[in-house]
Amino acid sequence: MKSIRRMTTIATNTIREAVRNKLLYAVLVVTVVMILASVAISTLSYVEGTRIMQDFGFAVIRLFSAATAIFIGINLLHKEVDRRTIYTILSKPISRVEFLLGKYAGLVLTTWMLVASMGAIFAGVSLLAGAPVHAGHLAALWLIAVEMTILVAVATLCSSFTTPMLAALFTTGIYVLGHLSQNLYHFASLAEDDGVRQLGLFLYAVLPDLELFNLSVQAVHGLAISGFEIWGSVVYAALYTALLLCGAGFLFARRDLR
Amino acid sequence: MERAGKKGERGLVSTQNEVIRVENVNKDVRPGFGLRKKRILHDISLSVEQGEIFGFVGPNGAGKTTTMKVLMGLIRATSGRATILGHEVGETAFHREIGFLPEHPSFYDYLTGREILDFYAKLSGLDTAERKERVELLLDWVGLAHAAEQRLRTYSKGMLQRVGIAQALVHDPSVVFLDEPMSGLDPLGRKEIRDLILRLRDEGKTVFMNTHILSDMEMVCDRVAIIIGGRIRYQGRIEDYLGGEAREIDIVLSNVSPDLVEILEEQYEAELRGLRGRIEFRIPEKDRRALLELALRLEADVVSVSPHRPSLESVFLTAVRNAESEDSQGAAAAGTEGKESQ
Repeated sequence: MKSIRRMTTIATNTIREAVRNKLLYAVLVVTVVMILASVAISTLSYVEGTRIMQDFGFAVIRLFSAATAIFIGINLLHKEVDRRTIYTILSKPISRVEFLLGKYAGLVLTTWMLVASMGAIFAGVSLLAGAPVHAGHLAALWLIAVEMTILVAVATLCSSFTTPMLAALFTTGIYVLGHLSQNLYHFASLAEDDGVRQLGLFLYAVLPDLELFNLSVQAVHGLAISGFEIWGSVVYAALYTALLLCGAGFLFARRDLR
Repeated sequence: MERAGKKGERGLVSTQNEVIRVENVNKDVRPGFGLRKKRILHDISLSVEQGEIFGFVGPNGAGKTTTMKVLMGLIRATSGRATILGHEVGETAFHREIGFLPEHPSFYDYLTGREILDFYAKLSGLDTAERKERVELLLDWVGLAHAAEQRLRTYSKGMLQRVGIAQALVHDPSVVFLDEPMSGLDPLGRKEIRDLILRLRDEGKTVFMNTHILSDMEMVCDRVAIIIGGRIRYQGRIEDYLGGEAREIDIVLSNVSPDLVEILEEQYEAELRGLRGRIEFRIPEKDRRALLELALRLEADVVSVSPHRPSLESVFLTAVRNAESEDSQGAAAAGTEGKESQ
């Protein structure tokens, strides 16, 4: 119970940092501009203008959420160590794993707040443009938020053993490959060289399948979304995130904070 | 004088009141990828008892901060053992009983003075009522009550140092670790911190303090350890350090005859300094009686006789020189052995 309380203290403070930081507001302003631009872009088409607008809107939300998650995730530990703020915190009765999980929870909630804000802007602009907004849109936004839990965990794991620059590179690479994992499997299956096939299948097995969290096509086109698609992805994200955080905690607990 | 030799203090005596115990701690680091490991702490052993103010002194890069980081569990010793209040330093539950001020402390600068202390108090497990009381008390103690609502990014270096001290004490710990606590403070601020440290001792707390400002250490510390090049060279009470030096006496005489001047210079090899019709000189303690009798016989007036107390600074500089000399001799011996074995 005390452990939860300590992690909550760290998480709450992390959210407070985000709220007082100008960066997130800048991201929101850019998102508003981009979503408004999507309205203009949609007018270039004679047909399905609102769908183009919503497709573009979802792409903006996904892109900016991912960029923010990577940016804040890779700095999760580095900034604390580099600025030496972690020294005084770890001198209190809090373990490194509790600190890491508290920071992680705070950053995930921050990205969720961001996704929710961008979703609200998206819904407002859609309604003003006369486009439909229904439960499918909400499910798609929810899974974008769930995807952020994996992405922040990947960034956290990378930041626990390497520099922010390399962590950003690794996390971005995993994000891109994670969205191409089905293609990776397809190409690996077709590969004639056994080594290439094994490598492709290994990467497919190890990398997260982030396309599971992409319901924007179904949402925009009004297609049915099953409960399994949503909650199966949530369970997948929870398990994958738990594995990543175990790895991050293991590495961070053994690291010298010089 | 208790001397911690190169082999460390394997025979450290454990007492009931022992609060901090470090036994033969070594720390190796790899300066860069693929480079050979370098040892930065060599066989560090020390013991601090309850209620003591223990000073850990050494030049920059000697290993003071590294040792403190080992004690705080921020870095792991390559070998050896360290305990605080009987707990291994890797544990965290007992941190409720310790406070830590790092060197050049840094804090979340988007928080106000009151918010940051409340944050640390929460982490320490204080309940709401305790937190409110301790935060206000500490803000007052360190003289930041007037700036409690300002964000830390507007604080000066000295104010941040005070925040650092306040957060180290906010949960009323029994053992306090201070890494360069006077750093960044003006003379008045330093005096306030010295008074605060003495107040902590009066309250029965144990203070482990790193510093290179020897005068501050001399004024507050009960015992000190001198670390040079990652090795503890001396450890013991300050009085013992100072007393261990060859004792000398400062004498001031007036109405001194030329004969006496000649005897002082030739027989005692004293370095005479003229001072408004008086002469001042320093001689070994053992010559005191004979010289005073001689001076009186030659009708000189004795103005003052006072024991010369070498400063900790002079002892420290001597220790540095001795360590450098020992190290160079050791290196030369190793070089000779190497050549012979070839």
